[in-house]
Amino acid sequence: MAELSSCPGYHYRAAQVVQQVSLGKDTYRLRIQCPQIARAIRVGQFVMVRVHGLQDPLLGRAFAIYDTDEDCLDIAYLVHGKMTHQFELLRPGDQVDIWGPLGNGFSMAPTDHLVMVAGGIGQTPFLAMAQHYLGRRRYGAAEMPADAEPLANRVTLCYGARNAEYFAGLDDFRTAAVELRLTTDDGSLGEKGLVTDALQRVLDENTRADGLRVCACGPERMLASVCELVRSHNLNTDRRIPLEVSLETPMACGIGICFSCVAKIRQLDGSWDYRRTCIEGPVFCGEAIVWD
Amino acid sequence: MAGDHEIDLRVQIGSSLTLPNPILVASGTFGYAQEMSRWVDVGRLGGMIPKTITPFHRPGNSPWRTVETAAGMLNAIGLDNDGIDGFLTQHLPHFLPLACPLIVSIAGASPDDYVQMTRRLSCEPGISALELNLSCPNVAGGVDFGIEPNTGSRLVEQVRAATQLPLMAKLTPNVSNIADIARAAEDAGADGISVINTLLAMAVDWRKRKPMLGNVLGGLSGPAIKPVALRCVYQVAKAVSIPVIGIGGIASIDDVMEFLVTGASAVQIGTANFLDPTLSLRILDDLPNALRYLGARSVAEVVGTLQ
Repeated sequence: MAELSSCPGYHYRAAQVVQQVSLGKDTYRLRIQCPQIARAIRVGQFVMVRVHGLQDPLLGRAFAIYDTDEDCLDIAYLVHGKMTHQFELLRPGDQVDIWGPLGNGFSMAPTDHLVMVAGGIGQTPFLAMAQHYLGRRRYGAAEMPADAEPLANRVTLCYGARNAEYFAGLDDFRTAAVELRLTTDDGSLGEKGLVTDALQRVLDENTRADGLRVCACGPERMLASVCELVRSHNLNTDRRIPLEVSLETPMACGIGICFSCVAKIRQLDGSWDYRRTCIEGPVFCGEAIVWD
Repeated sequence: MAGDHEIDLRVQIGSSLTLPNPILVASGTFGYAQEMSRWVDVGRLGGMIPKTITPFHRPGNSPWRTVETAAGMLNAIGLDNDGIDGFLTQHLPHFLPLACPLIVSIAGASPDDYVQMTRRLSCEPGISALELNLSCPNVAGGVDFGIEPNTGSRLVEQVRAATQLPLMAKLTPNVSNIADIARAAEDAGADGISVINTLLAMAVDWRKRKPMLGNVLGGLSGPAIKPVALRCVYQVAKAVSIPVIGIGGIASIDDVMEFLVTGASAVQIGTANFLDPTLSLRILDDLPNALRYLGARSVAEVVGTLQ
């Protein structure tokens, strides 16, 4: 497995699949051996992955990091289209092309109470985030200091899915000591309703003026609702709860050269411009995103 | 067996431009070099063609801008770019330290747009040639200069009169006779012909009864179009005596060699950069051995040698 890129910090490799395990309905955790990326990648950054040698499907797909260890990184995926159907067939020893680390990642600012909001497969960046915040792991090049202080005292995951079967990785979040607030469309697990209902309750319960941060990842309509909810909550309560949103805009390259993955982002002068989510995101300040 | 030092990779375009090797990267598939400098030594390429610039900033089309199809993709980016002012101030300075030739791709809505941009770019140091994008399929309202020989040749003539820089005309395959257009561009003073731009195409989601692209129509690229591109290179190379630069679905050294023997003097790698940012340079590394396989000591020896 030769290192193919010539510049430090950015890696393109043919890498081996180590393990594939089921996380939930149509959802899998794929472990890929790639020490260079596993050791460098930060929370909220992503990798592009494709099946080695195939021309159909052709392009890589973007995946957040679910977790890492020294030599491997895990992505979690929902079987949805042409590439993820191919992923489902992968067995240990098979090869994927992988490139990264990509994107900006979350700012990871310390806070008292971190609230993560996920819809669909949008929970994937949040296991690493929770472990990092609670002082159980450090991601990125930094060594885990022996006396690491947690970056948050509490971490809550508001997580919405179609029904109970589609929740993926709940045990991983429980093991990480994350407080779960689940919602389903049909009430088969957690509260019946939308994930934004769960977020609303968390915001209402925590009445401290500061010490709350919100991060969100999921379908675009959900993210727009989260932005609106936090904006109006801040307005009504005179709080300044920071919100960071990770966009799932479809990408072709992941590295800033194709100009596919643009989102409307507010500029300093108040106008908007299309910005590439792959290199200027995928994480944006909630207020900066202009929703159609 | 000849050693590496004995293989001559150079390619001559016009009288003033010598490319160090025939592996170029296509406009719109390599950003502005800043992005790709993180991945590879861009300066080793035979030439770098940044994303097409226009007289003014264009935000581009609304998403979705790309969609994958069988062994290819459609794009309708819509010439999203910072305009010539943005290019000169924000992007050009990053190209200047690179060792490879810089070929600037331009597009406009009128011949005057092309001429004005050509004049300005001709005053800038560090630009080796211009590629006239006569054929972007994704911009509504503009004249498509590449679909009719007379309009195309008049445009090339006017640009020719405005600059000493070598000119490459990039042609669309969405025409009935691409050889006629290429011949007209050569007669008008072009120094090279780049073929092909993307094929006008469409993808549909029948469940939603909607087109997949925000722009409805887009350009098909990737391995799926390679046979069409080879056909166009074959027809154009027979029709003109200036160099032909082959573009379309190139993803391996074998693809490159197919284009060279069919009549391309150089190639541009496009969509494949999206799935492997290191590909162009790996192909370059493989080139001497492939030439050696044919017993050649130079690129020029194999160009257009179909038997």
